[in-house]
Amino acid sequence: MPLLAIEVRGIRRVYAAKPEPVVALDGVDLQVAPGELFGLLGPNGAGKTTLIKILTTLLLPSSGTARVFGFDVEHDTKKIRRIMNMVAGGEQSGYGILTVREQLWMFTQFYGLTRHEGWRRVDELIEAVGLAEQRVQRVSTLSTGQRQKMNLARGLLNDPWILFLDEPTLGLDVAAARSLRELIVAWQHAVPGRTILLTTHYMAEADELCDRIAIVDRGRILAIGSPAELKKRVQHESIFRIEVDHLDGGAAALASLPGVVSASEAASATDTSTRQTVVMNLVLEDDGALGQVVGALAQTGSHILGLRKSEPTLEDVFVELVGRGFAESDVDATEAHD
Amino acid sequence: MSSLASASRDAARFDLARTEGRGLADTLRTFAVAARLGWQLEANWTDPFLFFIYSVAKPISSALILVVMLEVIGGPAGRAFRPFVVVGSALWSFVVSGIAGLAWSILEDRERYRVLKYVYISPSDFLIVLIGRGVARLGVGLAGVVITLVVGVVALGVPFEPAAVDWPLLLAASLLGLGSIIGLGLLMAGIVIQTRQESWSYPEAFAGALFLVTGAVFPLTVLPAPVQAIGLLTPLTWWIAGVREALFPGGPGSIGGDGSLFASVFGHANPGHAEIVGALLATGVVVTLAAVAVFRLSDRRAKSAGLYDQTTGS
Amino acid sequence: MAASLDLVGRSGTGPREAADWSRRQVILTDLRSVRGRAYPRVIGLMREPSWVLFEILLPFLATSAYVFVYRALDAPQEYVGFVVLGGALTAFWLNVIWMMANQLYWEKSQGNLELYFAAPMHFMSILFGMALGGMVMSSTRAATVLVIAGAIYGVTFSVDQWALLLGVFVLTLGALYGLGMVLASLFLVWGREAWHMGQLMTEPVYFVSGLNFPVARLGMLGALSVAFVPLATGLDAMRQLAFADAAFPAGTPPPAVEVLILAAMTVISIVAARWMLIAMERRARRDGRLSVRWQ
Repeated sequence: MPLLAIEVRGIRRVYAAKPEPVVALDGVDLQVAPGELFGLLGPNGAGKTTLIKILTTLLLPSSGTARVFGFDVEHDTKKIRRIMNMVAGGEQSGYGILTVREQLWMFTQFYGLTRHEGWRRVDELIEAVGLAEQRVQRVSTLSTGQRQKMNLARGLLNDPWILFLDEPTLGLDVAAARSLRELIVAWQHAVPGRTILLTTHYMAEADELCDRIAIVDRGRILAIGSPAELKKRVQHESIFRIEVDHLDGGAAALASLPGVVSASEAASATDTSTRQTVVMNLVLEDDGALGQVVGALAQTGSHILGLRKSEPTLEDVFVELVGRGFAESDVDATEAHD
Repeated sequence: MSSLASASRDAARFDLARTEGRGLADTLRTFAVAARLGWQLEANWTDPFLFFIYSVAKPISSALILVVMLEVIGGPAGRAFRPFVVVGSALWSFVVSGIAGLAWSILEDRERYRVLKYVYISPSDFLIVLIGRGVARLGVGLAGVVITLVVGVVALGVPFEPAAVDWPLLLAASLLGLGSIIGLGLLMAGIVIQTRQESWSYPEAFAGALFLVTGAVFPLTVLPAPVQAIGLLTPLTWWIAGVREALFPGGPGSIGGDGSLFASVFGHANPGHAEIVGALLATGVVVTLAAVAVFRLSDRRAKSAGLYDQTTGS
Repeated sequence: MAASLDLVGRSGTGPREAADWSRRQVILTDLRSVRGRAYPRVIGLMREPSWVLFEILLPFLATSAYVFVYRALDAPQEYVGFVVLGGALTAFWLNVIWMMANQLYWEKSQGNLELYFAAPMHFMSILFGMALGGMVMSSTRAATVLVIAGAIYGVTFSVDQWALLLGVFVLTLGALYGLGMVLASLFLVWGREAWHMGQLMTEPVYFVSGLNFPVARLGMLGALSVAFVPLATGLDAMRQLAFADAAFPAGTPPPAVEVLILAAMTVISIVAARWMLIAMERRARRDGRLSVRWQ
């Protein structure tokens, strides 16, 4: 059997809390292959961070087993710590009085690098993550985005076989978050076999980065698959938004075509020459029915001005699985902890 | 959603008078809330029994160190000096609590709880918040003083006659001394705003230095004249002398005596009650004004350098 | 960017081979970790020099206060020496309490603790690095107290056995720092209690250790202190060796015996620290306390 990067079987984690214990993970099973960028997607309080803390050997499971490259998280902690690293979002760790360069060099020593090798690697990573101008700036003076880049550089210092990222773009602005995501992808692609486990509650981030995603809620994994596979669960039809210059007979003319489930007019738009246009939402049985629609439009002399396919989001997938959205799940998690 | 809607309706009727505050009422409320917060932080970390042990172990140990030193050297003859050192040592725990209280509040809120900047930008007067927070530690220190004195009387042979206590002097000295201690605490708070996380020990080090010059556990006459002068300019010297004189009238004093700087300057061996209170008031006012000035200066520098929202560990 | 991120390149080794470190690699990592953790301490001292006043000069004045207590009592001169030596050793005890044991309390709240545990070195390396970094300050303070107090207050040392004195000093530090590691392991699972316990370990420990007087004066309590409190044992032995001409009260063993006690304390505390750190880490992982800030 090929070696898995992560193998989790029946993991449960219960926190003693008042007035009653909190079940953070409730029988989680998971397998991640080497070289994958695997995402854990779920609202706040779903159990994502708890699972990462178990896999990074900071927390013991209440029951079940978890392995990282075949090493048990409970008994082989030293071995796992030699080949992994972790970066959390919103991390404020570090010593404010040190410079970026010094802070990172300190951590190279914890991973056994020689003094000179440590400085060399720190300088390389500072360049790679785009912190060259801040290299001699004190850690306490960094902006949020800069600090997170430094944290990411720290996570890459020992060239880990597996990198755990716990909401790495939390609190970053759009540009900083995008920059960080690009770094993550570039790092993973630089050498084959690098594995990343990423937790996030940003659906677009999971959709963009991950090879496969596990949707987590209330300590359970609800579904696992690639973003496309997960979306296919909820998208049984093809949905298009089409804009034409005119349409004799309106949407009803298209609704009766074979393969068209429904057709409805959206708000009329005005094109640049101030003519009225017609925008319609079409639900088709499959993409093949689009040909029927285009042909029918051509026969009526309508010109297609725009055509866009709508896909369901991962939130749609979540709603389908759970029956409520992410925002409602966040509120539920907050109330549960109050 | 309805609460958000009502908030937006209130915004349309914004009242400029809200920015004026309510003067003394706000100050008193700020103080009360800060004092309550300080007490919660100070007292809720363990069960009451352990809290009691913690509150009294340090001052009693300090007193015992001095009592043993007396026994070692003076033997039975040194016991006459015992009330002197027990009172001084007991009072010193109050001094340390007061000086450390405000400074530690700054360090806690900046380094551990990371709320200092939020407290600072709130409409509450930052100074009042600090003093309120420090009052809780003063309360713990006061408990230590009382218990140490009780232990001194009950177990260490310190002679005490309640009927002989000079209550007016005790009250005056206590109130003025409290103000001076808070002033010194403010001075330390101003200093630690500028320093890093490891400055937890600074208030105690500062108090330890003052321990040398204030006649807490030995008469000032033992010191060289220039050092005695520093002591005479320190309000704590007069406060300790005043409380000692009030509790044990006629006992050994710390300021005067034959050959003391006080005697050579003022022409008589020991200060009277009025002199003690007057000197305490004068030196206290000077120190407090200086402390406020240092604090304001430090505050301005902290804002300029962005020191209120950074952590500084090593 | 991709090339610069290919830092090591994987030349044939797999993750399981990469996780299998030799004994030499483990030891070197631990030693480098000591250096790494000492580094911010030393840098911090250089970048923020207020400690010279507050950690050196002011504590010297506090020690001087006890010197003047003895002067007020017309004590023999060797008692001034006792106070000075006690004041010098205080520096190391405070380093143990505040720069080692209690430091984990801060590291947890800053989020550094979990990063330390996620790294492969032994945690004792981190503690030792903290102690080593703090020793710069402690040593400076101790030397200042000894030299300046010696000069100002006329303290003269009469040492017959320098080698034994040095051995006692080294073993005292070993025992103190070993105890510091034991306390650090306890503080790992405590929250704010840890800070208050640190406060409790100043004056009460000074009293039972005889910081300002010969510990033999405490009778049975003094004897127990010499047996169990490294500060008491080390201080008593160093006093007997540094002031060989002075008259000491009976009740404590001779320095040669105290050396053995210190050696035993050092070994026991380091072994206990290693065991307790492993046990407390496991407990902290079980209770989820490695990354909880607000205990």
